[in-house]
Amino acid sequence: MKLFTLSADVLVIGGGLSGLNAAMGAAENGASVLIVDKGKIERSGSIGGGVDHFLAYLNEGGDWDTADSFLQYVEKVGRGTAHMSIIEQTYCEELEDSIERMARIGNPLTQPDGTFYRTASMGQPGPYWINFNGKRLKPCLGEAVRKLGCKALAKTMIVDLLTNQGEVVGALGFHIRTGHFYVIHAKSTIVSTGNTNRLFENPRGNPFNTWLCPYDTGDGQVMAARAGAKLANMEYMRMTLLPKGFSAPGFNALTGMGGRFMNGLGEYYMEKNHPAGNKAPRYEIVFQSLVEKREGRGPLYIDCTHLNKEDITHLKTTLGYDKDTLPDYLEQRQEDLATAPVEINISEGMQAGPTEVTGSGVKIDGDCASNVPGLYACGDAADHNRCVHGAITGGYRSGKAAAKFALGRNFFADPEVAPTEEMAEKFIAPLKRGSGYPYRQLEDSVRRIMAENVGPMRSEHGLNTALKKLTQLEKHLDDMKVEDLHELMRSQETRSILEVGKISATAALYRTESRNKPYHYRLDYPETDDENWCGLVAVQKSGDAYECSFDPIKYSA
Amino acid sequence: MPVEFDYAICEGCGECDALCPGDVIYMRPRNDNDPVNADLKNTYTHLKKPKVPYLKYTEECWHCGSCRQDCPNEAITVVFPPDMLCL
Repeated sequence: MKLFTLSADVLVIGGGLSGLNAAMGAAENGASVLIVDKGKIERSGSIGGGVDHFLAYLNEGGDWDTADSFLQYVEKVGRGTAHMSIIEQTYCEELEDSIERMARIGNPLTQPDGTFYRTASMGQPGPYWINFNGKRLKPCLGEAVRKLGCKALAKTMIVDLLTNQGEVVGALGFHIRTGHFYVIHAKSTIVSTGNTNRLFENPRGNPFNTWLCPYDTGDGQVMAARAGAKLANMEYMRMTLLPKGFSAPGFNALTGMGGRFMNGLGEYYMEKNHPAGNKAPRYEIVFQSLVEKREGRGPLYIDCTHLNKEDITHLKTTLGYDKDTLPDYLEQRQEDLATAPVEINISEGMQAGPTEVTGSGVKIDGDCASNVPGLYACGDAADHNRCVHGAITGGYRSGKAAAKFALGRNFFADPEVAPTEEMAEKFIAPLKRGSGYPYRQLEDSVRRIMAENVGPMRSEHGLNTALKKLTQLEKHLDDMKVEDLHELMRSQETRSILEVGKISATAALYRTESRNKPYHYRLDYPETDDENWCGLVAVQKSGDAYECSFDPIKYSA
Repeated sequence: MPVEFDYAICEGCGECDALCPGDVIYMRPRNDNDPVNADLKNTYTHLKKPKVPYLKYTEECWHCGSCRQDCPNEAITVVFPPDMLCL
C-alpha cells in the first residue's frame, strides 16, 4: 500500500458542473486548484453527456423577468426550503457573470443566431427556462479549467476529509485503477459531489437506470457530516416523471413546450386537477401522478401530438441535448412524440432539492461556506444550490470564497490524525476478505428499506422502522467482500448511500408536518404548518447519532 | 449490451475507457475472434493498437452517450436492452 501526497490551495471534490465552475472561481481568483473525480472531468457528473436547460431571469422587459419576481417565485414554490438572502447571493449576484462565462468558454446559452429560446413551466410566472445546446458544456469547462492551470485527478474516489481542530485541511482518496492512496493537503476544500441517486428502489429494476447520475451517491454530504458540517433539507425525497423504461431527463422540455399529462382513461389529469395544469410545479405533478396510479388510472402518458411541426422539431432536438441517447431510445422503442402519446412513469426517489430553485445537502451561507472552517459546498451537494443554474452560479461563488479563505493562510495545516499505510489498509480490507457479501446485496436492502418506509408517504412508525433496520444493516457493512478496485469504489458508495438514508429518515421524523408533497408527506401530519415549520431542518452528527435543529425562515411581508 | 463497439473500425485509443463516468468500460487485448484480426488482417494497417474496449460492468451503464459522442472513429453504437425497451 503506497501513500502519495499532493497539495493545492483549493481542493474540489467532484468535477461535475458545479465542481468545474468552483475550480474556475478559485483559479481566476489566484488559487492553485486540484479537482478529484471518480470519472474524467470532461464527461463526469449529471450533465456529462449534455444538457438543454438553464433557469434565469434576464431583465429583458417583462415584469416577471426581474430578480424580484424570480425571488417571489422561489418563495411561492419553495416556501420554507431556502433563505432568500442566500439565493440572492449564490444565484442572483452570480447570474449575469455566469451566463457570460458559459459563452466565454465556448458553450453559450444562446441559439446559433444569438437569441435566447425561452419556455415556461413548473409554476413559473414567465419563461424562465432557457433552452440551449449543452452537449459540449463539460468538455468546454474541462478545457477552461486546464487552461487556468487546475490539476485534475481522474478515476479517484475521496473517502474522507482530513481535519485539524475542527477545520477541514484536506482529504484522503484512492485511485480506482491503480489502488494508490492519495493524501491531499488543502487550505480549503469544496464538496461538489452531487446528490444521492441510488437511494430508493428503482421502478425500472436496475438501480443504475436513474434520472440523475447514478454514480452520485452522497459521498460528499456524508464525509462533510463526519467532519461536523450541518446538512439541511435532507428529508425531501425528490421524484420526477420520465419515459417508462428509461430514467432520462426531459421533463422541463416536455412541459415547457406544452406536453399534456394523460391517464389510462385518456383524461388530461393535470388540467382536471390543478389550476396551473401541466405547468404546475414538478412536485404537484408527481403528487397527482401518484394519485392516478394509486387509484388505478394508469398507465400514464405525455401527449405532445397537438404541437405544431416547428415545436415538435424543437422538442425532439432539445431532448437529445438533455440526454444524448433519448432519441435513440424512442426510436428503438418505435415511439414518436409527434404521432402518439408516449408512456411515462414516476421515477425512482432520490435525495435532492425540494424544488428547481432550492437544494438539499450541506448547509451553506451566502458564500457557500459550511459551518466548518475550510469547508465549502456547491451544486446538488449544497442546500441552497439546485439544478444546472444553481451549479454554475453557486459553483463559481464557492470557488471565489474558498480561494479567499485559502489565500488568507500561508501554511498547510497537518491533519490531526496523519493518514498512514495502515489506515489505507482498512479501506481495502473488503478486497482481501476471504468471504463476505457483495456490495449489491447490502445496497439493494438499503433501497428496499427506504422505498418501504421513507417513500412518498411516511409516518412516525415507518420512519422509526427504517432507522432500526438501517442501523441493523450497517453492522454488516464490514462484511462486504469485493472482487476488484472498481467494486471497492462501489462498496464505499454503498456506505454513503446507507448513511444518507439514515440522515434522511432522521430529518423526516423530526419534521412533524408535510411540505412540498409528495417530497415530504407525513401521513400522520398531512398538512403544511407554516406557523411552526417554515424553515430548514438542520442535521448534525453528534457521536454516533444525528441531532436535528430547526432554522426558521422569515419572509418580508 | 447497452454499448456496442465495432472492432473493425476501433483504433484502440482508449478514450472511451478514460472518460466513462461510471468506470464501466475497460480495455482488453485484441484476440483472434475480433473482426480486425480474423477477417481484416493486414488490410486495416492503421489498427495497430493491441487493445480494444469492452463493457466490463454492463448493468452499471447510465446510457449517457459520452463514449459515443467522443469516439474519434464513431465505432460505438448505443443499443438499449430489452428490459428497458419493452417495459
